[in-house]
Amino acid sequence: MAGSGSTEAVQSAALEYAPYIVLLPMLAFPVILFLGKMFNGNKMWKEGLKEGGLIALPVMGASLLISLWLITDFIGGSGHADTAGWTWFTSGMWDSGQTTVTEISLGFGIYIDHVTVMLLFIASFLCLLINTFAIGYMNTDPINDNRNHRFYAEFVLFCSGMLGMVLADSFLWLFIFWELMGLCSYLLIGFYYERPSAAYAAKKAFLTTRVGDVFLMVGLAMLWTLFHPYAGAGQGALDYSVVFYEGNIEKVAASSSGTLAWALGLMFIGAVGKSAQFPLHVWLPDAMEGPTPVSALIHAATMVNAGLYLVARMFPFFGAEALHGDLADLAFIIAAIGGTTAVMAAAIAFVQHDLKKVLAYSTMSQLAYIFTGLGAALYLANTLHWHEYLADGTKNPDYYVNHAIVVVAFGAALFHLFNHAMAKGMLFMASGAVIHEVHHAHHHLHPHDDHHDESPEELLMLANYLHDSDQSVFGFFNSIDLDQSGEIDTYEFQKALKDANIADLPPWEMKRLMAAVDMDGNGRIDVPELELSLGRIHLASLAGDDDHHDHHDEFDAQSMENMGGLASKMPLTATAMLVGSLSIMGFPLIGGFWSKEGIIANTWRVALDDPRFFYPAMCVLLGAAMTGFYMSRMWLKTFAGSPKTEVAAHVHPTNTWIKTPLFILTFMSLGAIVLASMGFTHWAPDEYYEPFFDGKKSFVEGFVYEMEHAFANSDAFFFVLTYVAILLGAIVGPGLALSLYGGKLDEGEDSLPWFAPVLALNQMVKGRYHWDNSSFAQSGFATALENRLYFDHYYDMAMLKIVAAFSFKAAEADSSVIDGTVKTIERTSQQLSTKLRSLTTGSARDYILMAALGTLVLFGLIWGVVA
Amino acid sequence: MIDPAWVSGLSALLFVIGLAGAFTRKNAIIVLMCIELMLNAANMQFAAAAVHHGDATGWVYTIFAIAIAASEVAIGLAIFLAMYGQHESITLDDVNVLRN
Repeated sequence: MAGSGSTEAVQSAALEYAPYIVLLPMLAFPVILFLGKMFNGNKMWKEGLKEGGLIALPVMGASLLISLWLITDFIGGSGHADTAGWTWFTSGMWDSGQTTVTEISLGFGIYIDHVTVMLLFIASFLCLLINTFAIGYMNTDPINDNRNHRFYAEFVLFCSGMLGMVLADSFLWLFIFWELMGLCSYLLIGFYYERPSAAYAAKKAFLTTRVGDVFLMVGLAMLWTLFHPYAGAGQGALDYSVVFYEGNIEKVAASSSGTLAWALGLMFIGAVGKSAQFPLHVWLPDAMEGPTPVSALIHAATMVNAGLYLVARMFPFFGAEALHGDLADLAFIIAAIGGTTAVMAAAIAFVQHDLKKVLAYSTMSQLAYIFTGLGAALYLANTLHWHEYLADGTKNPDYYVNHAIVVVAFGAALFHLFNHAMAKGMLFMASGAVIHEVHHAHHHLHPHDDHHDESPEELLMLANYLHDSDQSVFGFFNSIDLDQSGEIDTYEFQKALKDANIADLPPWEMKRLMAAVDMDGNGRIDVPELELSLGRIHLASLAGDDDHHDHHDEFDAQSMENMGGLASKMPLTATAMLVGSLSIMGFPLIGGFWSKEGIIANTWRVALDDPRFFYPAMCVLLGAAMTGFYMSRMWLKTFAGSPKTEVAAHVHPTNTWIKTPLFILTFMSLGAIVLASMGFTHWAPDEYYEPFFDGKKSFVEGFVYEMEHAFANSDAFFFVLTYVAILLGAIVGPGLALSLYGGKLDEGEDSLPWFAPVLALNQMVKGRYHWDNSSFAQSGFATALENRLYFDHYYDMAMLKIVAAFSFKAAEADSSVIDGTVKTIERTSQQLSTKLRSLTTGSARDYILMAALGTLVLFGLIWGVVA
Repeated sequence: MIDPAWVSGLSALLFVIGLAGAFTRKNAIIVLMCIELMLNAANMQFAAAAVHHGDATGWVYTIFAIAIAASEVAIGLAIFLAMYGQHESITLDDVNVLRN
């Protein structure tokens, strides 16, 4: 298993076991699915194994352990890119015009570099925490009973897709796992497929990301064509070891750097779709239809990172000396898309009432920050001479300055990815906990009353009877259709109900029952009618009868309008939410601050060099203030003030399975400075990288360096910029929210000590600066924001106008030309036969006449022949 | 000895009477009788020709025709009975089950 490529390093033992990171969850998928199918409803399966949750948990734990081993090996080793490959199969390919056969081998390989390590940790760590959380969330909601195994199976497959994509050593495998995730995303969003909105959201997410994936595929095909001539024996043209090899990049750059830029641009569109960026962002808010926090978390902390990972993976192209300056436009496009989305999504988040929707738009906005940061970093890597040697082999005089700039810029974007994933994972789990508990409190206060009187009870009993006796509707129908007429009449139905011990009904009752089933009103029941009636009952019982979804019309457990004052009811969740919000806002010293400042600073650094970048640079600065506002608004509306509904006053703390991941992630977010000091902000995949782990910089030095850069930058411009960003993100935005929302908790409600300053500040600001925002809330702009800036509307319209119009034309051509020909033949022959048929009158006399005439004719003929 | 031409002429006359009757009458039994008439016209022609040529073949045909005619009548009457059972009439105009 020889490593290949330019940066071959010492093989670590962990690398040999790395495939199990992907294989274990992938194998757990069928195991959980089949066991779930076999033991569905079994008490041991339900209580002991949590319907597969406790199979998935150790599997994800093992994945995390191997991942950690791999990561420590990598960091403790050399910190150089490392690969290991396993050949799956080899085949020949004959290029036209050549006389030799090129050997093509397809295999799976592991590629480890700095980007991989970062994403690998995020994915495996969060997948384990989500799994823990899911056991507490999914298994305590009766609506999920007896189908959780489907959730866990899809969940582990999803995790294996994410981990596989991160570890893959070629763009081809990246694409395969990418699509696997797309599939699982579809399945998980549509988990409650009996709800039309969930089915619609699943389709929407699948199709929207598919638009991007088509471009990604075309981009990969172009990349393959470019690099195919330079792939050695046994190497795939899309292997990282081929495409990232500087010699190959040089050769491609010399002949067709423009094509390469196009290929990368198309691949970027794929990333835009996956990471829900403008203009392919419409699917993410709808993806919240999935099982509450879990699918949401996947769509916030892991899967959407795939797009960012793909862009980060392109770094070697941008960083290559041979392509110097060629890809600057593409870098600008990446940053501009990011900037646009950051502001747009933040603006929409202003007016959302649904707790999860706020977080969904926040995700879009924060991912956009990372895109902007990556765009800036890629621009710097592409336009600065940052390698030790220039293209002509001379020593680069600006090496140290430029190298540091590129490494820090790239590191800031990746570190924000890390911080955002941790914080957003926590926020979603916390919001899930809130929704879960509000839901339960509501259920507790308003016990379920039966709304399903429309369907007669006898039909429900019949449905249950069929289910229990394991009969199909068709089989049952045939057995009660005594005269085999294909229809059952009232008598047969009455007898069947009596025989099945369901009910012995008098005629007038039978009339009522028949009326409910007999849809066309002909007095008899046929198979489709019976099937439909029973199917309706089945759906109703799934969607509501043993649950509370019929209440959704009146009570929305996800709406922040129904919450308020929860800080005293759910202190741990409130703390997690507070830390997560502060991290996303970029509040000084907490989580995202360390990376967000870096993104803003680097975007402005580029803007000073290239005026086009003023657009994304202004966007991220504006976005910082907006983030401060909507995150504070969300926290205050949910946790501060008095409970807005009776339900919110009766919420209880959540269970341990849910609390554990929140607890862990709170510390992850708070501890970001530790990681920053360890050099996590210096994260560039190149061999000149000098990480903390090499021992060149101590922890204290790193800490001092970070603090100095953040708060006492020697460059006057960046010094001012830092404080402007802090002012906007941590004072202006939250200040506005504090003056509008929240308030002190009710009398007698006490909470944890660290909420006191927040609530006191809230009360003070609200009391002093409270202003009336109703004019804005009623303005056309607010309406536009509530309608998500009409994107869905216009996309739907475009679909109707273009796609549907085309479909109608195609359908017309089909029915008039293709079907038309067949139908004309059929119609003509039928008319002809009708004419012929009228000859047979059925009258004996006519037949005699015909016989006589026929005889005469025969006679005449014979006469003619003889004569 | 009568001239065979007269016999032929008589048989032709009988045949035409039978044919006209089969075309015009409505009652099934009369139509059947007319058919018999036509058959017998043919028989007469066979017999006359046999006498004229001094050949027995004509007689043989005649006997076969009579046998067939007898069975035909049996079947025909059975059909009429069945017809009467269904339609309570043996008027041919009422029966057109083979129509179209």
